[in-house]
Amino acid sequence: MVKRVAIVGVGMQKFEFRKRETVEEMIFDVTRDALENSGLSKDDIDAVVFGSAVDAFCGIHNSDKVAIDASGGLLKPTMRNSTSGSTAISTPILGYTHVASGMYDIVMVICFEKMSENHAAQAVFNTVYDEAFVRPIGLNVPIQCGLEARAYLHRYGLTERQMAKVSVKNRGNALANPYAQLPMKLTVEDVMASPYLSWPVKLLDTSPVTDGARAVILASEDVAKELDDDPVWIKGVGRGADSVWFMGRRNADLGRLDYAYLAAQQAYDMAGIRNPMAEIDYAEVYDPFTYKEMQHCEALGLCPEGGAGRMIDEGISLKDGDLPVNASGGLQGEGNPIGAGMSRLCWCYLQIKGKAGACQVPKDVNTAVANGWGGMYQYNAVMVLGRD
Amino acid sequence: MAKKNIKMTIDGEIQINYHWSLGKAGERFFTELRDNKRIMGTKCRQCGRILVPPRIFCEECFVEDMEWVQVEPKGTLVTFGESYFSTDGKKLKDPWMLGIVRLNGSDGGLIHFLGEARPEDLQIGMPMEAVFKDKREGNIMDILYFRPAKN
Repeated sequence: MVKRVAIVGVGMQKFEFRKRETVEEMIFDVTRDALENSGLSKDDIDAVVFGSAVDAFCGIHNSDKVAIDASGGLLKPTMRNSTSGSTAISTPILGYTHVASGMYDIVMVICFEKMSENHAAQAVFNTVYDEAFVRPIGLNVPIQCGLEARAYLHRYGLTERQMAKVSVKNRGNALANPYAQLPMKLTVEDVMASPYLSWPVKLLDTSPVTDGARAVILASEDVAKELDDDPVWIKGVGRGADSVWFMGRRNADLGRLDYAYLAAQQAYDMAGIRNPMAEIDYAEVYDPFTYKEMQHCEALGLCPEGGAGRMIDEGISLKDGDLPVNASGGLQGEGNPIGAGMSRLCWCYLQIKGKAGACQVPKDVNTAVANGWGGMYQYNAVMVLGRD
Repeated sequence: MAKKNIKMTIDGEIQINYHWSLGKAGERFFTELRDNKRIMGTKCRQCGRILVPPRIFCEECFVEDMEWVQVEPKGTLVTFGESYFSTDGKKLKDPWMLGIVRLNGSDGGLIHFLGEARPEDLQIGMPMEAVFKDKREGNIMDILYFRPAKN
């Protein structure tokens, strides 16, 4: 029988460019923070799950081994997970299965990325693409996303100004986030005037190269209530992956993320959510680029398909809106250390617990959703949290 | 002693050379491209889809029941973009343009450079055609770029 699984603590640290700490020191920092916040000690941890997307960023292959000592994993079962940017949510999903299966009562989930040890993050990203058909063209992430963003705006009739509003919202929200790398007070005109990387994506539509880590501690229903009177439960999880041959998918239009709709549907079915627009109180949505927040809001059912422009125009996703999205600042304001985008999940937990500090939204948050995206238009992973 | 606020680092590089196999499907594709200026796909005999780039199996029917077919070096622009940065992060004065072209008579396509056009000349859905290199070597650069179709 599947056991219920709760989050009983999270570990946070400041996201920065060129962090002074080593990968091991970063992980120790968030592990200690998560243990303190949950009232647990190292010996309470039964197993550890690591998530990191691309080793070439930090230049240490099998970097998971560096995480063993610092995560409390010494002489314990550990495992590393990697699904590009969606590592951010697929790793806590792997932790969830560890606990839901009944194998372990308390599991530490660690996600980390040290992107700025190298001097050419885009050259690292290029090594992700197919070596014969794609890589020689010199593809990099800005143009990969330019291709997708153009298809998305074209398909649904959305605008660059709507994208710009997402940047203003998220970087502005990050002003309240003590862990944020890139808080900024901006206007739509500031974003529109920033240089194009690849139409329609401009510099202020992107997220920064970041170093950082996050920790989440999961507990089975057998122990969660001893640790927390009102636990935050993992109510639903879902994942989807589409073909690596993006030029020949059945749905040729890159503007619609079929795999993300699938992931969301799985998570909502499991959580018993039929109308996410009414039932989700808060969302942390994977936003490495402004238009990705818009696509993900649609795929997660937080607005109608094609309705993300209207959602931001009407202020629905603002911090004080009806359905706030990324009150933490998201990847754009907080920083985007690929796998450590698990921060999206941490902020959902903090919002439900009322512990989001100056980022706390002015409404009751009982149910929240977070997602992660990655690869060559590949993966989506979704997690729904809620209290009883 | 290092000054307090200067981060100490060890500097190094990872330089590794590879020989990536083109594989059963890739060898045939790049041989035909080099020797005959042909773009080839594989057709699934069960569902009829024609895959470009070609593969030895159909991921939907999950069978290895494929036949080789030639596809047109012409197609439709699915999306396109221009980049003002080189892949190693350097700012460029003139952008380079990329597009995804869905090839006629197939269910797939290629991502490649776009040429003989300015960004303002391009729109999603327009017909494109491949321009081949004269001296071909058996790699994706045997196609120089796609350009707006001339007729």
